[in-house]
Amino acid sequence: MDVETVKERAGPREFSPKDDLPEEYRKAATRMIQFHANSEIMGAYLERPFIRQAPSLDRKLAFSAKVQDEIGHGQLLYRAAESLGIKSREEMLDELANGEGKFLNCFHYPMESWAEVPMIAFFVDGAAMRRQATLKRTSWEPYAHAMDKVCFEEGFHVKHGEDVMRELATGSKKEQQMLQDAFEQWWPRIIQFFGPTDDQSTHHDFSADVGLKTMTNDELRNAFLNAYVPKAQKYGLEIPDEPRIRDNGDGTYEVVEDDLDWEEFFTIAKNDAPGSHEQIGKRSRTQEAVEWVRSGLESWEHGEDTTAPQAAD
Amino acid sequence: MIWEVFRQEDAGEYHTHCGNVHAPDREMAKLFAQIQHGRRKPTNSLWVVPKDEIGEVDAEEAAFGGTTDKSYRWVMGYKDLDAAFAEEVAESESEQEDADRASAGGDD
Repeated sequence: MDVETVKERAGPREFSPKDDLPEEYRKAATRMIQFHANSEIMGAYLERPFIRQAPSLDRKLAFSAKVQDEIGHGQLLYRAAESLGIKSREEMLDELANGEGKFLNCFHYPMESWAEVPMIAFFVDGAAMRRQATLKRTSWEPYAHAMDKVCFEEGFHVKHGEDVMRELATGSKKEQQMLQDAFEQWWPRIIQFFGPTDDQSTHHDFSADVGLKTMTNDELRNAFLNAYVPKAQKYGLEIPDEPRIRDNGDGTYEVVEDDLDWEEFFTIAKNDAPGSHEQIGKRSRTQEAVEWVRSGLESWEHGEDTTAPQAAD
Repeated sequence: MIWEVFRQEDAGEYHTHCGNVHAPDREMAKLFAQIQHGRRKPTNSLWVVPKDEIGEVDAEEAAFGGTTDKSYRWVMGYKDLDAAFAEEVAESESEQEDADRASAGGDD
């Protein structure tokens, strides 16, 4: 199939491994899904320390279940990316560990207090879910299929995140202040989650033409602000003055782009912010530390001489 | 030879186990399955699977996550929070409720 045919046929779940797709499509889809898979993993790494710091047993259980889900989503997505035939799952995991793999801007910032947890677990997950729901209609069928399961599970994550936020928002003065501080710190990053406005985005045109993306950055940001600004206000959070966001009154918003730090955003996009090095380093050390599990599994699968238990007949 | 039969009521639904048939080969199994399992209930599709090909692990061998109350893992565990503010959250909630209902007793 040539690119023109792909563009003509592009529609929800239109293409699968049965189709002979041009390299340009397969590369674009790989880049997008690999980014998504990496982000699932890196988000989980950012949240993992808070399993230990959770303030109650209930929270600890819920939070560890959530982190486990995210790692699972990463694995599902690597499979969906692998089926494009450009990169293997191992290559993508290696790229993530060696700093070549790209992932969401929000996961390049260190998280220090429990009050920051809802920033990821409610706002960032909520933003991600907005995007993921639209990807149920992406043209690469294995990707859309992975989104079915991801979205099924994410509802719990977002509600759990809201529950943590509500607890802080209705807690002591100190807790409320910590939540507001965290919100002010994270708000611009969350706005940048959706990337630069449409006229500055480099990858959108092709991805939209071949049905990989079904909504633009601006449309997704609008959809996010529509649902989540009222939530923030409901819990008594004050929206920071900057970035300036104008409500057009018709379900759309205008964000003053100059109020956001794009230099920082693009440094992050190159994996070169201090937080990037910290997070990637963490991932890389863990990858190395569990190498013995992977190689054990691999030699077992290939039936090589090993001390791993044999499968019973 | 025994073939286990799975019925799907509507396109897009899961195939759920509904019984088995004795048949010498796949073609006969499909035919018997239609007659025995596809006539009484609305059916969109049937699967037949050789019984020997099914792998089983049961509660005697595995812990299956133990007996811990896992309501924290479900959207329904956060009932007093409204999911309707974002349609995808509401959709996840109703999917989970459906799955929970199906596992709680099913409609078979």
